[in-house]
Amino acid sequence: MSWRASDVPLGDDPASRYLPWTVGMLVLLATLAMATGMILSSAGEMWRQSLSGTLTVQVPVPDPVAGAAGDIGADQDARVEAALDLLRNTPGVTAARRISDRRISELLEPWLGAQALSMNLPMPALIDVTTSPDAAIDVPALSTRLETAVPGTVVDDHAVWLRRLSNFASVAEAVSFGAMVVILLSAVATVVFTTRTGLAIHRDVVEVLHLIGAQDSYVARQFQIHTLRLASIGAAVGFALGIAAVLAIQLYGGKLGGGLLPDLSLTGLQWLALAVLPFAATLLVVVTVGITVMRDLARMM
Amino acid sequence: MQQDTNSVNAVGDIVRFENVGMRYRLGAEVLHDISFALPAGSFHFLTGPSGAGKSSLMRLMYLAHRPSRGLISMFGRDVSTVPRRELAALRRRIGVVFQEFKLLDHLSALDNVALPLRIAGAKEGQIRDHVAELLRWVGLEGQLDERPSTLSGGEQQRVAIARAVIARPQILLADEPTGNVDDEIAIRLMYLLEELNKIGTTVVVATHNESLIERFRHPCFHIEDGLLTGPSDRPGRAA
Repeated sequence: MSWRASDVPLGDDPASRYLPWTVGMLVLLATLAMATGMILSSAGEMWRQSLSGTLTVQVPVPDPVAGAAGDIGADQDARVEAALDLLRNTPGVTAARRISDRRISELLEPWLGAQALSMNLPMPALIDVTTSPDAAIDVPALSTRLETAVPGTVVDDHAVWLRRLSNFASVAEAVSFGAMVVILLSAVATVVFTTRTGLAIHRDVVEVLHLIGAQDSYVARQFQIHTLRLASIGAAVGFALGIAAVLAIQLYGGKLGGGLLPDLSLTGLQWLALAVLPFAATLLVVVTVGITVMRDLARMM
Repeated sequence: MQQDTNSVNAVGDIVRFENVGMRYRLGAEVLHDISFALPAGSFHFLTGPSGAGKSSLMRLMYLAHRPSRGLISMFGRDVSTVPRRELAALRRRIGVVFQEFKLLDHLSALDNVALPLRIAGAKEGQIRDHVAELLRWVGLEGQLDERPSTLSGGEQQRVAIARAVIARPQILLADEPTGNVDDEIAIRLMYLLEELNKIGTTVVVATHNESLIERFRHPCFHIEDGLLTGPSDRPGRAA
């Protein structure tokens, strides 16, 4: 492709003047949509991995009235130890450990503030149970045995939560990628409109080119070269802004901490996939221009 | 030029029309039962009043329009059956000087003349020298980089002629080439076209300039109300 003056004076078109802006905005939105989809995909997978093969056992604080006189704290420790013993002796359980009060406090801090522990709330003890991947734990039976040994104990195998989480992550991921596709289709529609306007404006020039022997592909190439220049600029700027937005979200999202947000970081492969986006968008636009010109010219003699 | 197609020798004909009719879209027919043949290397005038159909006939010959009926053969090929992708190759064998020149205003004189070569895929390094030489031949050596809008009517006409002949077409079609220039320049342009004809280019000049037709000795074809007559063999003219 030569960079001499185009045979079709497309540089003066009012319609194509806005092409870099249009492509830039669409690439920005597509970058955000794609990054969001990737983050949700990673988060969903991470949640699934972290929750599958685990159980959480809650050992509530004994009722002070029912427990009558005595040290409630010591009583609770004994209940937890009993539950731990039972769990560790259950086939398929590879580990059972009590989650420290400090960790529980950290988990509650975003909701109750830094003084959660000093508020003397009757918080249950939590036991994190890891099961063997091959083991088929009978959760209802385990619940019954725990309830018998330590009344009030609740076993949560996260199945419901996992199912809802999985559904949510899948839907959110699909919506994000769907949004990206819609955005790219919008780019295609805009480019088709712009190209047709350009063809209408320069119909006389195109006719002259035809009459002195130009193939449709020669004319299409004139439009494609022009579009390549404009779309490249727009895509580069839009992508840079999109990446800046993703980095800003990661930076400020990371500062929230406390498990409020999933991990917002992207893998190297995901960054690479994002980097392909401006090139893919530019290619899509240039190919669209070529097809549009060829199809429209086919109606001329 | 022969109107009776049965009597023409089709082998040496560059252009052949048989009972051709033409209409624009769904409008009335503007050309009726046109039949003629142009032997290679001939020079013909096409004359007639404004609106008679000269430009329409020229449009058919430079493949800007398909006939509504009849047969048009260019270089031995029936244009009605030529696939669209092959039309470009046929058009490259035809040089056209348009009535309104149709130069591209955003390109220099040199780039306008270079267009047919670039379209044909000539190497950029060879184009400039070749084009500059031709523009010198038509007397525009000092205006290579001028835009058409800064050139006079006669100069634009010569750029248009240079563009039409740069790729060595087999036939040159000139539609009212002297319509926008004074008599002196018109005569010089005609000499230029005769020079091209002498080196083998078939030439057709559509004009209603009677003085040119009187001055230059070439058979003349007349069109009126879409009907073609002639060619007329005026005294002293080559048929």
